[in-house]
Amino acid sequence: MRPAVIAICAVLPMAALAQGLEPRVTIVTSFPKDLTQPYAQAFEKAHPGTKVEVQNRNTAAAVAFIRETQSSPPDLFWASAPDAFEVLKKNRLLTAYKPKSEGIPAQVGSYPIHDPAGFYMGFAASGYGIMFNTRYLAANKLAAPKQWDDLKKPAYFGHVGISAPSRSGTTHLTVETILQGEGWAKGWATLLEIGGNLAAVSDRSFGVPDAVNSGQYGVGIVIDFFALSAKASGFPVDFVYPELTTIVPANIGIVANAKNPNAAAAFVEFLLSEVGQEILLDPKIRRLPVRPTTYAKAPADYPNPFKDRSLGARVKFDADLSEARYELVNSLYDRIVTFRLKELTEAWKAIHAAETRLAAKPNAEARALLTEARAKVTAVPIGETEARDPAIAGAFQEKRKDKPVPVRQAEYEERWDAHAKRAYAEAKTLADKAAQAAR
Amino acid sequence: MSGSGVAVEAVSFGYGQARILDDVSLQVNKGEFFAFLGPSGSGKTTLLRLIAGFGTPGSGRILIGGRDVSRVPPWRRNVGMVFQNYALWPHMSVGANVAFGLEQRRRPRAEIQARVAAALDLVGLADYADRRPAQLSGGQQQRVALARTLVIEPDVLLLDEPLSNLDAQLRVEMRAELVALQRKIGLTTIYVTHDQEEANAIADRMAVLDQGRIRQLGRPIELYDRPADAFVAGFLGTANLIPAEGGGRWVLRPQDITLVEAGRGRLRGRVVQAEFLGASVRHRIAVGDAVLIVDEPHRLGRAAPQAGAEVGLDFDPDRSTRIAD
Amino acid sequence: MTAAVASGAAGTLGRRASPGQIAVGLAVALFLALFLVLPVARVMVAAIEGPDGYTLDHFGDFARTALFREAFANSIYVAFMAVVLATLIAVPLAYLLARFRFRGAALIQTLGVIPLVMPPFVGAVAMQLVFGRNGSVNLLLNEWFGFRIPFMEGLNGVIFVEGLHYFPFILLNLSAALSNIDASMEEAAQNLGASGWTLARRIVLPLALPGYVAGAALVFVKVFDDLGTPLLLNATNLLAPQAYLRITSIGLDDPLGYVIATVMVAFSLAAVAASALVLRGRDFSTVQRGGGGLGQRELTAGRRIAAWVFISLVLLLVLSPHIGLLLLSLGTVWSFSVLPDAFTLAHYGAVFGQSAHYLGNTVLYCALAAALDVVLGTAIAYLVLRTDLPGRRWLDAVAMIPIAVPGVVLGIGMLRTFHGINLPGSDQPLATFWGMLIVAYAVRRLPYALRACTAALQQLHISLEEAAESLGAGKLATLRRIVVPLMAGGILAGFVTSFATAAVELSETLLLVTREADAPASYGIYVYMQSPAGRGPGAALGVIAVVVVAVATYFSHRLAEIDRAKRGKLGR
Repeated sequence: MRPAVIAICAVLPMAALAQGLEPRVTIVTSFPKDLTQPYAQAFEKAHPGTKVEVQNRNTAAAVAFIRETQSSPPDLFWASAPDAFEVLKKNRLLTAYKPKSEGIPAQVGSYPIHDPAGFYMGFAASGYGIMFNTRYLAANKLAAPKQWDDLKKPAYFGHVGISAPSRSGTTHLTVETILQGEGWAKGWATLLEIGGNLAAVSDRSFGVPDAVNSGQYGVGIVIDFFALSAKASGFPVDFVYPELTTIVPANIGIVANAKNPNAAAAFVEFLLSEVGQEILLDPKIRRLPVRPTTYAKAPADYPNPFKDRSLGARVKFDADLSEARYELVNSLYDRIVTFRLKELTEAWKAIHAAETRLAAKPNAEARALLTEARAKVTAVPIGETEARDPAIAGAFQEKRKDKPVPVRQAEYEERWDAHAKRAYAEAKTLADKAAQAAR
Repeated sequence: MSGSGVAVEAVSFGYGQARILDDVSLQVNKGEFFAFLGPSGSGKTTLLRLIAGFGTPGSGRILIGGRDVSRVPPWRRNVGMVFQNYALWPHMSVGANVAFGLEQRRRPRAEIQARVAAALDLVGLADYADRRPAQLSGGQQQRVALARTLVIEPDVLLLDEPLSNLDAQLRVEMRAELVALQRKIGLTTIYVTHDQEEANAIADRMAVLDQGRIRQLGRPIELYDRPADAFVAGFLGTANLIPAEGGGRWVLRPQDITLVEAGRGRLRGRVVQAEFLGASVRHRIAVGDAVLIVDEPHRLGRAAPQAGAEVGLDFDPDRSTRIAD
Repeated sequence: MTAAVASGAAGTLGRRASPGQIAVGLAVALFLALFLVLPVARVMVAAIEGPDGYTLDHFGDFARTALFREAFANSIYVAFMAVVLATLIAVPLAYLLARFRFRGAALIQTLGVIPLVMPPFVGAVAMQLVFGRNGSVNLLLNEWFGFRIPFMEGLNGVIFVEGLHYFPFILLNLSAALSNIDASMEEAAQNLGASGWTLARRIVLPLALPGYVAGAALVFVKVFDDLGTPLLLNATNLLAPQAYLRITSIGLDDPLGYVIATVMVAFSLAAVAASALVLRGRDFSTVQRGGGGLGQRELTAGRRIAAWVFISLVLLLVLSPHIGLLLLSLGTVWSFSVLPDAFTLAHYGAVFGQSAHYLGNTVLYCALAAALDVVLGTAIAYLVLRTDLPGRRWLDAVAMIPIAVPGVVLGIGMLRTFHGINLPGSDQPLATFWGMLIVAYAVRRLPYALRACTAALQQLHISLEEAAESLGAGKLATLRRIVVPLMAGGILAGFVTSFATAAVELSETLLLVTREADAPASYGIYVYMQSPAGRGPGAALGVIAVVVVAVATYFSHRLAEIDRAKRGKLGR
């Protein structure tokens, strides 16, 4: 036995024994097996003696799990959504760590790769964009969309899918990017107009690419790797980054009081290392490395945010603003889009119908009615300043005894819901009237 | 003679105000064939179940062979019970059913085999050990239930309306068999029934129960001839109750009254209906507000009085029973 | 004085609680308190926690919120309509089965279980591929006739999927009730001049009603509480998704989710209680011991064809998720087309290589959970029906609660309650020990097993036990040699239902599984299904899991049949 051990140590100076790594490291992750398995295998090969235990959970369950298991937590949390890391960080459930790896820039696009406070580290970049099923588009004689504005076109009515921002941290970032890029009121108008074309609002991030893959609907607002890996798996799908997108890192963080801190740190370092970064290029994974040099080994058409400066550069993403109204934006979107999707799409259907009439036979009165209908259906029930007001936004955040809020979340939610229901019904009536007038 | 005597001493049982048994006392002698007779709800089955151990008396005690068993669970009483529905276990063969009690007593295998065979032989089912209960007729099931109980050589045999599920002819046959079997092994036996004819035919002695009380105790013939009250009189057979001079009532069986010419005899009445029964003719005779039933033996060539005829009725007070009101 | 006399007379009819019974009762109570009441209470308490102390404000919010009122109404509507659809499918099948002699009987009986043996999320994915807006059926319809049918859209979609999924509950219960009707009752009615429709209406229907109501109540509650189907169809305007979305939203520790969950639990329990009330004093089947079922007739040729057409149609509908899943597991790429582009066995190869342990774990966990369920179910049924143990009705009532407790609530409650406690002799938290998954499975499925065991014991005449006792067998020996063997059919039915439904359970699994090596198949399927490349292998694993559970179910049914045949019918 002994000579063998010595031999291994000699061959692999970085090996587990030499570094005093613990015999195992447990990782809670929302990533699919296609991503976790290659990493686990490669890490175990690089650090014999340390076993990687992967626990797969959706992000919400993973956060609940870490919150409920503080007495004996897992070692690492590994997921896309930065907001989940923020929640854990706020609850002091993460440990700060400074990666030793060199060669990783401070930012990708306009977004910092690692958490500036050091509680979680970005290991792969992803951008939100538009995924589409080419067979579906051909069968429905639709052009491939390129920008968010394309998704507002009446032609896409009933062909678009999205996951709720409250359920998907990355969708939330897309919504926030649009709001910051276009401004609060105009941003919501865009979201509500795209909302009029939605076939479904999924409660799972993966629900959208899944539906586009199988052709349930043709266009989805998804994170890039879902589309890229589906394309690599042979599905007739493709993907574009609109101009207005944020490239954000997918992250890993060491859980507070981790039982195996050394092995956990080693895993983080491994992710950021050259070997670790190259695994991202695997066709089943297809994520953007955060190490610029890795792109040299990528296929020619591989998106490169460090080279293609248009990617994610249009918005200077204000993370503080995003955080201040995070829960409020999610709740607002659910009230006026997710839970009133039927009413919203009916209103837009009526508007589209009236516009078709009007295009054939212009009519000033009808035009005015229609403008009013559009104003109704694209109005957001709360102003930008209010939405930033800690007294209001605070009502949507985690309740704390030391931070009482004067208003209750339920009251606001009921107000927005009532607004949406009334406004969409009125818009529909107006549009119907306009269609009558244009007869 | 085998088995033990059973003593029931001042046993009461019931929930709240509802008394199922009220201060019941009786003694069943060793080797005796005893019947509990009563209408449904009289408490006869409850009393039997208390003797078997399926329940504890609220007050009073039960002794078997002189031992107070009031608080002894059924499985330590060595009392055999045959249930109304036989309660054969459908998942076991006939042989396994019969062997069960001996297995619980941890008898050696060879002994069990021999005794099961003997018990089945006793009830005439020697060849049926491998059958399932469902493959047997009602009468055969009844015999298996009996064999299953007898094989443990119980101190007392309890039978809960064992014949009620059989058809009329089989019932009479089984009745005779039961009596013969009981005489053969001489086992103390308590038999619950609501059928007075059945009780009369088989019991050495019996207790008539009504509403949780014992109305009368004794030999069947005594109870028939000398009922203690109107209930017993009526329950054991048709009885005419006639107010007697100086209080009380006469209990007159239909055959105790003779029809005489109108104007003679102790009473006067009118024939309402005459029913020819073969050996006898049953007359319904209106006397004042009451209707009496009178049986006259039928003899060749004799003409019975027709409906509407005026008749006289006579009986012998010295040979009749008089009960309190 | 009167009282004293009365109490003096009171005795017990062989049902006084013995120390053994008290011990069993306490053990069951402890189990329920520890693994059901405590975890659920620890989660539900959030519904009444305010900034300062406890408050009922949140319930006021619930009542004031239009969205929740609508969701409440929608949930009731969907549950009711699903019962209607399930009835339309189940009643004709049950009647065919009970009334006519024909070869389809075995097929219908199989139909009774198949839909339950399907992991819900995979089932919905497969259903989308078959019935979705661009599923095979709609693509064909559109190509041939130029229109689509929105099978899977909105509330109607939920009703469609749920009705198909849960009709077996009515079929099974109704069939059981019909088989308990004695042919002689029907003959008596015929003798009195009733026939055809009158006979069905006046005699058969009332006698079968308890079975139907029991099944319908179960369907109503299951649909009312179901989460997976509405989520996959993106129908969020129902109570279960509203509660789930709130409870599981990241960082939102908001009480309304728990308020909704509380309202759901209360309403479901009320529905179950109401159905029990409707049935009070009407459960004729227990009086009718071992009825031979309705008299069976031959079908006329025309009707036989109609019956077969109906059965085939139902079978096709019921099997559509399974067919979809099979195609998915065998297909390469399946996108916007009637069938997959090409077929391959590669997905099965991938699964066999890496996933044998998932199946092993599923069989182990679900068998142990189902065993635990039937032990608890038998114990509770026995205490309720055969003893006077104080509080026994409470045990029964509490054991029925899980029927209305969402898996997420129990899962979070388990974590919250048991994570601080380590497994003796190790540093592993109790909550993440694989044994807890078994306990969680068992708790959620206890109501099925309990009802099956109760029904079995109710059919058992008490004299069978008393006969054993008077022959010298104590309570334990009687239980072992008489009661349990005679309840075997019911116990097996409870075991199978628990086993099959546990095998496809996901919500607790996702919360409680901590190590890949300890994970069951439902977890494996979920993990595969999270990536485009994993759909094939995930479906393959799903097919294998369905086959394993179906085979297990089939064999236990065969066992039960052999057992019943051996026993025949007895002692009427």
